[in-house]
Amino acid sequence: MIQLEKISKWYNTNGARNFVLKDIHLDIEEGAFLSIMGPSGSGKSTLLNIIGMLDTSDEGNYRFFGESVFDLKEKKRTELYKKNIGYIFQAYHLIDELTVYENIETPLLYQDVKGSERKAMVADMLDRFNMVGKKDLFPSQLSGGQQQLVGIARALIAKPKLLLADEPTGNLNSKQGEEIMELFKKINTEDKITIIQVTHSEKNAAYGDRIIDLLDGRIQQNIQ
Amino acid sequence: MIRNYIVVAWRNIRKHLFHALLNITGLSFGLGFTLLIAAFVWSEYTVNSDIKNLSNQYIVQSNWKNPDMGLELTTIGPLVKELKIQYPSLVKNYYRWDGVTSNVSSGNKVFREGLQIGDSSFLFMYGFTLVYGNLHTALSEPFSVVISEEKAMKYFGRTNVVGEMLTIESFSNSKHGFVVTGILKNRESNSITKLNRENDNQIFIPASSATYFSRSLDSWNNPYIVGMLELQNGVKPSDLTRPMQLLLDKNAPPDIAKNMQPYLVPLKNYYLQQNNGLAGKMIITVSCIAFFILLMAMINFINISIGKASSRIKEIGVRKVMGGMRKQIIFQFLTEYVLLALLATIFSFVIFISARSYISDVLGRNIPMLSAFPAYYFIFPLLLAVLTGILSGIYPAFALSGIRTTDSVKGKLQSVQANVHLRRVLAGLQFFTATVVLAGALIISKQVALFFSKDLGYDKDYVVSVQLPRDWSDAGIRRMESYRDEFSRMTQVKAASLNWTVPDGIGDGSTMLFTDGQEQTQAAPYESVIADKNYLAVFNIPLKAGRNFDHHSDSNSVLINEHAVQSLGLTSNEAAIGKRLYYEPGSALTVIGVIGDFHFGSMKETIKPMVLSNVHLDKIYRLMCFKLRPGNIAASMQAIEKKWNTLMPGSSFEYLFMDESLQRLYKTEIQLKKASQVATILALVIVVLGIIGLVSLSIQKRMKEIGIRKILGASVTHIAFLFLKDFLPAVLISVVMAIPVSWYLMHQWLNSYAYRVSITATPFMVTIFALGLLTVMLILLQVVSNTLRNPVTDLKSE
Repeated sequence: MIQLEKISKWYNTNGARNFVLKDIHLDIEEGAFLSIMGPSGSGKSTLLNIIGMLDTSDEGNYRFFGESVFDLKEKKRTELYKKNIGYIFQAYHLIDELTVYENIETPLLYQDVKGSERKAMVADMLDRFNMVGKKDLFPSQLSGGQQQLVGIARALIAKPKLLLADEPTGNLNSKQGEEIMELFKKINTEDKITIIQVTHSEKNAAYGDRIIDLLDGRIQQNIQ
Repeated sequence: MIRNYIVVAWRNIRKHLFHALLNITGLSFGLGFTLLIAAFVWSEYTVNSDIKNLSNQYIVQSNWKNPDMGLELTTIGPLVKELKIQYPSLVKNYYRWDGVTSNVSSGNKVFREGLQIGDSSFLFMYGFTLVYGNLHTALSEPFSVVISEEKAMKYFGRTNVVGEMLTIESFSNSKHGFVVTGILKNRESNSITKLNRENDNQIFIPASSATYFSRSLDSWNNPYIVGMLELQNGVKPSDLTRPMQLLLDKNAPPDIAKNMQPYLVPLKNYYLQQNNGLAGKMIITVSCIAFFILLMAMINFINISIGKASSRIKEIGVRKVMGGMRKQIIFQFLTEYVLLALLATIFSFVIFISARSYISDVLGRNIPMLSAFPAYYFIFPLLLAVLTGILSGIYPAFALSGIRTTDSVKGKLQSVQANVHLRRVLAGLQFFTATVVLAGALIISKQVALFFSKDLGYDKDYVVSVQLPRDWSDAGIRRMESYRDEFSRMTQVKAASLNWTVPDGIGDGSTMLFTDGQEQTQAAPYESVIADKNYLAVFNIPLKAGRNFDHHSDSNSVLINEHAVQSLGLTSNEAAIGKRLYYEPGSALTVIGVIGDFHFGSMKETIKPMVLSNVHLDKIYRLMCFKLRPGNIAASMQAIEKKWNTLMPGSSFEYLFMDESLQRLYKTEIQLKKASQVATILALVIVVLGIIGLVSLSIQKRMKEIGIRKILGASVTHIAFLFLKDFLPAVLISVVMAIPVSWYLMHQWLNSYAYRVSITATPFMVTIFALGLLTVMLILLQVVSNTLRNPVTDLKSE
């Protein structure tokens, strides 16, 4: 599904290259649950953003379902991205001015899904996450765990093949975190959605079936 | 999708209500003012537009070799009539009228009114309609009268008054009844019933009654008749140049035929062109003012929008992560700003409705109600709103949607610096405009103050003029003089004078005079004032040499002003005494005194040579002027009125203080002064809104910095200084840059006045100081109110 070849990213300071990522080679099979670990500044989030097509590398190749992502035009890439990728953030990043329902609905609006279909899809998602009663609340009226659930629902609404999560439990307490991880496991096994998560926590990383360890932009360890 | 945008927009407005209100208020003020001005301009442009067959309607104007020889406004009565008779293939119809003022009464209601004595073609030539009465016969009989609905209400309290009687005085003290035969339907402003501001005549009398007023429309000697023509289809005004000259050469006295050149002005644009394009100039001036106010309001809107947009950057990032295309995000922002601008437009209609009567008053013209406009008119404000919305949305929409998604999700704003610069430039533009408007208003006020100052050459205080009933016989004049002397003896009255005119620019025109050793062809124009011996006392005009009028044997004596002494080529005032002046050979007037120069007309014109002649010479008078003693003016006026009614029962007592007369003379300037003051207030309001918006956004964004600085020990003063340093230089630079522009504009405007104030540094200093102080105060106020809390809360927020 994902092939990264010789991915490097750097920024220049005083003429010297300062590598954020260096020669990353990575193959990810469809259906995998990958955890990316590493200390702060090791390049985890940058790697995730490159995989998520939000960022580009300075060197290397990235194939997504065989398509060379960096060679695509922006419109094509957005298209590919919209269809296949869902994103979850540490700080949830819900739109404050929209209700739970509207937040979940937004990706569908951007994909021009018809009104009636949209309604059904959002209703299904609300039901699945037990949030029917909260659909008209605004993000500020929810707890952190609930907000992250909305974030996940929003990421899943368009039926992506790949779910990317950047420290999804970072702002949650351990019980909430566990629930989210259980949910991830379930999504991965039952819905066959590929998940790549960035995490600090060994315990959360263990939910995945594969862990890579980054240090200073290089892969230190690749544990299957 | 669009519903989603609107929902988000609406929730954003509610969430940031304060800024949204600042934004909407500023824009709606600007838009409202612009709409009012646009309505004013529209109504000015539609003057005469509903006249029938407008493209063939003309007014005959006169070009005099010497502009002081006659009026441009009028022509010779029989000229237009003969044109129709002799050239029926060119002229379809004509209408002439003579304007007179007389006492009109019904029962105990007596008023002085402007009467329009003219041809009966008046009623059908222009498509007028009568509410009551027969259009084709209403003016066919002598001693009939057609009046407007307004006058019908004034005299009778109702409009269905056909058959009622109005009593009108002639100029030889006789009275005659006139039967009301028609009630003219009120119409939009037009040059037929209201030629100019002095001729807003609403009482129309047939030409067949002209002799009752000792007037004639058919004399080739009288160049004071208003003449209008309706040409045949396809006839050009230039086609009439030769016929008119031929008729003049054949019929008119040689000095008129030689010196007067009649020409045709289409009624279509007559209104905007008359008085040297006065109305047109006013339109341009107020349109410019409105444009700049709107520009300021739009800048304000754009500025606050840009400032606020950066707080939306995270939302933009999230939307992009959710699959939003850049295009869609741009569209969302534009929708939002257009919506805000549309809200402002709705408020601007409210402002239009509530400020309409005030602005009508300022501009001296009734601004039509919203309902009076054709539907398409409303497209323009809507377009304007959409345009403003798009203009203000462009920067946030394009700049912010172009930021890399990974940065914008984190709320990072890299282009902050560019953003701040842009907004400073925009704010600078606002201050620039505010300076031009404020300094301009100060200078205009100063010039207008000059019109009412002590430099007039006479003393206008406590002077009041009252219109007299006419009896221009010898006996009539003698009787008026005895009344005058009775008034003079009243304790409330310092002096009373019988005369033709006060120094309000409306004289009886100028007189051509020549002196010994000159031919009649060398005659020069003199401003002519007809007065009595008390005129100098009433107006406190100094006598520089010789003596005043003494008694009525002085009927061939005249006083001249110092300018006249100069134009006669004399070196001293004394040398003028005993000089003789002639209208025509053999009719000598002897100069018995020289008076100081005073401003008879507008300060646009230089003081002209003047000849003050005795009422006994011309045997005409119009006014009784009183110089009151200081004290209870209202009581004095009551006493005079009481005396007036016992001396002249049945005559109207309508008085005008000299200040009011001057206000009429300088109506345009006073309008401009008021308009510039309104503009100044609006400009200041918008500037204030702008500063509040900018500073509060800037404070919001720098809360964390402020918190850190406070923890490090900065006082409120330090922090206030941070913001002052940020804004004040931009303000001062733009204010200083505006000064030459303002100076130039005002210099141009003042140049049209022969007598003008000099532009000093004061108005500019005042402007700089006022705007600087305003900025400092607004910044201090906001900094203090926003920073008086625990800095820890601000640090936590990120």
